[in-house]
Amino acid sequence: MSSQQQQSSSTSTNNNSLQQPIPTISVKLVLLGEAAVGKSSLVLRFVSNDFQENKEPTIGAAFLTQKCTINNQIIKYEIWDTAGQERFASLAPMYYRNAQAAIIVYDITKPASFIKARHWVKELHEQANKNITIALVGNKYDLVEDEEEGGANENEESLRKVSYEEGLNLANEEGLLFFETSAKTNHNITEVFVAIGEKIPKDKSNESNINNGNEGGRIDLLNNEHIPQKSNTCC
Amino acid sequence: MAFFENLKDKALNTFQQVLLDKKDGSGLTKEQLFCQQYHIPDGETLIYRSNGVVVVKSEYNETTQADYQVPLSQGKIYLTQHFLIFEDENDKKNCSFNLYLSTVKKVERVSSDYGELALNIITYSKLHITLHLDDIRSECERFASSLSTTLKKYLKNLNKLQPFIQTCYSEYLLSKNKITNEKIDHVPPGGLGLIFKFPGNAKELRDKTKLKMWFDYFKEHGRHLSLIKTPLYYKLIRVGLPNRLRGEIWELCSGSIYLRIDHQGEYINLLNNNKDKKSFAIEEIEKDLNRSLPEYAAYQSTEGIEKLRRVLTAYSWKNPDVGYCQAMNIVVAALLIYMSEEQAFWTLNMLCDRIVPGYYSKTMYGTLLDQRVFESLVQNTMPILWDHIIKNDIQLSVVSLPWFLSLYLSSMPLVYAFRILDIFFLQGPKTLFQVALAILKLNGDELLKTEDDGTFISIIKTYFHTLDQSAHPSSSNSKYRNTTNFQELLVTAFKEFSNIDEEMINQHKNKHRDSIFQNISSFVKRTEIRNLPRLNNISNETLNILYDRFYSSVEISNITKGSGSSLMDYKAFLKFMSDICDWVQFIDPKDEKNDTHFLKRLFNHWDPEKQNALTFSDLTVGLNNLVETDLMTSMSNFFELYDDKHNGKLDRDSIIQISEDLLYITSPWKEGYLFDEITKVAVENEVANEIYQEQIKNGNEKFELPKHVDVNREKLEQQQVQRYLQAASTFMQRSFEYAIPEKEEVLIEDLAIDNKISHNAALNPNTPVYLDRPTFRMVILADESYELLFSSTLRNATHLSKPLDQKFNPIGNIKNMFDGLLADGKKVANQVRRRMDSRASQMTNNSSNNSIKSSKSKIEEEDDEKDDDFGIISIDEKDKDLILATEAQTLVDPITNKPANQNEFKRFHKAEENSIHKHNKENLIEFET
Ligand SMILES: Nc1nc2c(ncn2[C@@H]2O[C@H](COP(=O)(O)OP(=O)(O)OP(=O)(O)O)[C@@H](O)[C@H]2O)c(=O)[nH]1
Ligand SMILES: [Mg+2]
Repeated sequence: MSSQQQQSSSTSTNNNSLQQPIPTISVKLVLLGEAAVGKSSLVLRFVSNDFQENKEPTIGAAFLTQKCTINNQIIKYEIWDTAGQERFASLAPMYYRNAQAAIIVYDITKPASFIKARHWVKELHEQANKNITIALVGNKYDLVEDEEEGGANENEESLRKVSYEEGLNLANEEGLLFFETSAKTNHNITEVFVAIGEKIPKDKSNESNINNGNEGGRIDLLNNEHIPQKSNTCC
Repeated sequence: MAFFENLKDKALNTFQQVLLDKKDGSGLTKEQLFCQQYHIPDGETLIYRSNGVVVVKSEYNETTQADYQVPLSQGKIYLTQHFLIFEDENDKKNCSFNLYLSTVKKVERVSSDYGELALNIITYSKLHITLHLDDIRSECERFASSLSTTLKKYLKNLNKLQPFIQTCYSEYLLSKNKITNEKIDHVPPGGLGLIFKFPGNAKELRDKTKLKMWFDYFKEHGRHLSLIKTPLYYKLIRVGLPNRLRGEIWELCSGSIYLRIDHQGEYINLLNNNKDKKSFAIEEIEKDLNRSLPEYAAYQSTEGIEKLRRVLTAYSWKNPDVGYCQAMNIVVAALLIYMSEEQAFWTLNMLCDRIVPGYYSKTMYGTLLDQRVFESLVQNTMPILWDHIIKNDIQLSVVSLPWFLSLYLSSMPLVYAFRILDIFFLQGPKTLFQVALAILKLNGDELLKTEDDGTFISIIKTYFHTLDQSAHPSSSNSKYRNTTNFQELLVTAFKEFSNIDEEMINQHKNKHRDSIFQNISSFVKRTEIRNLPRLNNISNETLNILYDRFYSSVEISNITKGSGSSLMDYKAFLKFMSDICDWVQFIDPKDEKNDTHFLKRLFNHWDPEKQNALTFSDLTVGLNNLVETDLMTSMSNFFELYDDKHNGKLDRDSIIQISEDLLYITSPWKEGYLFDEITKVAVENEVANEIYQEQIKNGNEKFELPKHVDVNREKLEQQQVQRYLQAASTFMQRSFEYAIPEKEEVLIEDLAIDNKISHNAALNPNTPVYLDRPTFRMVILADESYELLFSSTLRNATHLSKPLDQKFNPIGNIKNMFDGLLADGKKVANQVRRRMDSRASQMTNNSSNNSIKSSKSKIEEEDDEKDDDFGIISIDEKDKDLILATEAQTLVDPITNKPANQNEFKRFHKAEENSIHKHNKENLIEFET
């Protein structure tokens, strides 16, 4: 598995450092999950290899890009990081439309966030692109790391509230990739994106050739009845 | 679990929320609009209005020399319960005020040069306001007397004034500088900036100078509740407010200052009364406390975090429909830098209720609507840029939504965001649009070069970080060179886009409101249905119908009740059930006896929170149990309705109650309005028999269904009535026969073997007895009508998926059913054919037992039915063979195959009798389709 992270490029779109004829594939990826599970932190780690202890909540959505090379192919992730609070859910369709990949994040110390993750899986299966690649991610692994390495006090209640098996079972039932990660300690973060890059169906339409822009009309804000159209994105 | 709490909340509120939100901005009454326009609290009504001339003087004014011309303004005068309002003809530009009447010290009549009547009003702030009314004499007198009654009436408000002015920095400023004699003991409570420093460089911002200018202004034009607005007032705000006064001017501009004085103490009470209470909103707030302006020092301290927690929590109690929305944390954190907790709390109220309604609500309706409006405005004002955005499929809302929702506080460096906020509080929500348009306009050239969201976003981001830099760094004109990006932004926003006013925004809102509303309600519906617990017996389509029915009945009942909530009360529940259940007959919800009524029992049982109301989820879970398809579960569900102690035992009273309720439920059948399966089969048999007899007589192979067959309807009806009456009495009898005497098992275990004794004991009304679940089921199963009631009759008479618009009349329906049954030629024809076949088979194979029929042949019959036409049947030799072959298999009919029950029966001496019973029934059901 050759994975090599390129320099952070949340802004640049023209890639002038690489001259070799490696095809670049653009992948639209959306992050979903309950508030404060660490979606933005996950992205920040992947894009800038950084972590902030008190990250402000995402209002609406944020957009970042990052390139990485997977199996001799450059994948440019166009990442839509969404707000986690329940009431922002009505905005989500705006961001996951046409997405080829999704990361559904929960916090392994918060059982409610796992239930929320189930809902997102359902929602995506019902509403999103039919062949969307979904990864289920249980974040904040660092919080339980110590207790799992045998250092845990028997009497103390475990911080972990969602077991690895529960996560894995959901992933297997629904055909999702599954990881437990920590944005804080950089545990398994790149792995998530690499696995998505490997799993994603690669057909011609994904290749970033010319920017064909408009994909059959703009979507109204919040037009939930919208059925995702072609799966290609612009670069 | 909190999450479920949230779902419940959602169910309670979302739909209503959408309705409420929809009203906002569109459904305001005239009075509300008036209050909104003058920033006074809702509920004020116009007592008097007139044209007039106003002259204002201040006792503190040092410039009262002989040549000083007292400014004079002509305009409109309004009197409400708590306010005297004046606005000059020049669109409030020259002179306007909202005088809070409690600040009036004295009113005297003076001679007027301009009108009929002149009143000199002297305030505690030592302003002399002379009103010259331009009205007919009688009206002027009416005004004078209204004013004096109003003043007297609100004299008690004076007590509020004293503690209140202690909280105003303007008052402190004047007292400290010996202008007033007010004793202000402490520095008024203010923002966190007083302790943790205000953002920005005070010197650079010329904070002292600005404060001095306001000081002068207060002397001359009054302050807080009695401030006169002149052109200088607007200017002073536009240049940026001084740190220490910012909070007070914000609350004055927004009108939240009036909420604060009118509701003194409410903030603290809210917190105290809800101390230690938990809610989903609080959980959400907790998640974000450390994530609110973390770069500002106060929010790395417990003091700052505590304040933020208290204001957000208090608001979530004050307005549970909104609760907490992300972005509110940032807005409140920003307010708290300049405002006391109480000031911030009331300003937050003003924001959510009036200034940006629906921004933070559960559906975020206002946010979505304003985004749409913004897009329209971009399209109208910058068509080239808009085309570019469309062509490249750029999601404008990704950049713009946070601007609006967090009032630019999460997008721009704080110092600049606060400048925008100054103007926002002054001139209202149009500010957000004007600034947003200006941002796009000023970056237009750059933005036109982008083709993707990423670059688009980063251009704007970069721009925000260069607001302090020169807008024209290479210009030779030093004036241009010294203009910062931010100054240019303000000029563009408020000069170039000054035509973007409330009226234009409202027009756009009206255009888009319905489609946003539609989208939200369908989203809410989808989510709410998806979030329901798993329901095995109700399909998704049915849930959709139930959802509409639930909300339509809730709405109707609330209109009559006059209060809004999307909970279903008992009355609405009765209506709901009588709409979809054949077995529900009218009962008066006000009837006292209803407390023991079956429907009341259902209602209470389905209401796990005991809030005397059902959520949509409660209702569907209950209905799902009611239409349970599994017989054993269905009986158990029913048992549970009466198991009030949750110990699996029904006492004597409960047994009597059950039997009464069974009478109630079965009354349509007991009274012959509806026919159950047993009767239907009997009817079919009767008809088929008649035709069969005809056939035999005529010896025809082919037959035609007669147009009319005489069935003894009366007899069949009577049979059914008898059957149900019998069932009821048998139920009662058997229940007590098999009821288990309390304590018996432990005390005299040996004797318990003797059934006779125990039964006798049970029949003795003095012996406490109970019915347990297996016994209850056994008693039900022992009666064919009641068994059928739980296996199908009740379910079939509960029409969950009945379309909402379908009106139906149960009695009419029943008649039709009887006629329909007779007219159902196919069924009857099948019956007849089966008889003929059976006769044929008896002739060929006398020994075969044809009372039991295979499920396979059943399926094939159904297929046949589909092929048949209008009852003209030719008997095919091949069919005959098929049926013969399958009959020989003597499979057990799946409907009556209930091994689990059989086991239970064996425990009782009636078991044998029962199985005979069942065989009889199989014979009966033989012809069932
Ligand atoms: N211990 C630990 N904390 C984390 C981790 N990831 C994120 N956090 C913290 O969790 C909080 C929320 O992180 P965010 O990345 O803002 O969460 P989010 O899912 O983007 O939240 P919203 O934008 O509100 O939906 C922050 O205080 C982070 O510092 C992690 O892996 N371990
Ligand atoms: Mg985030």
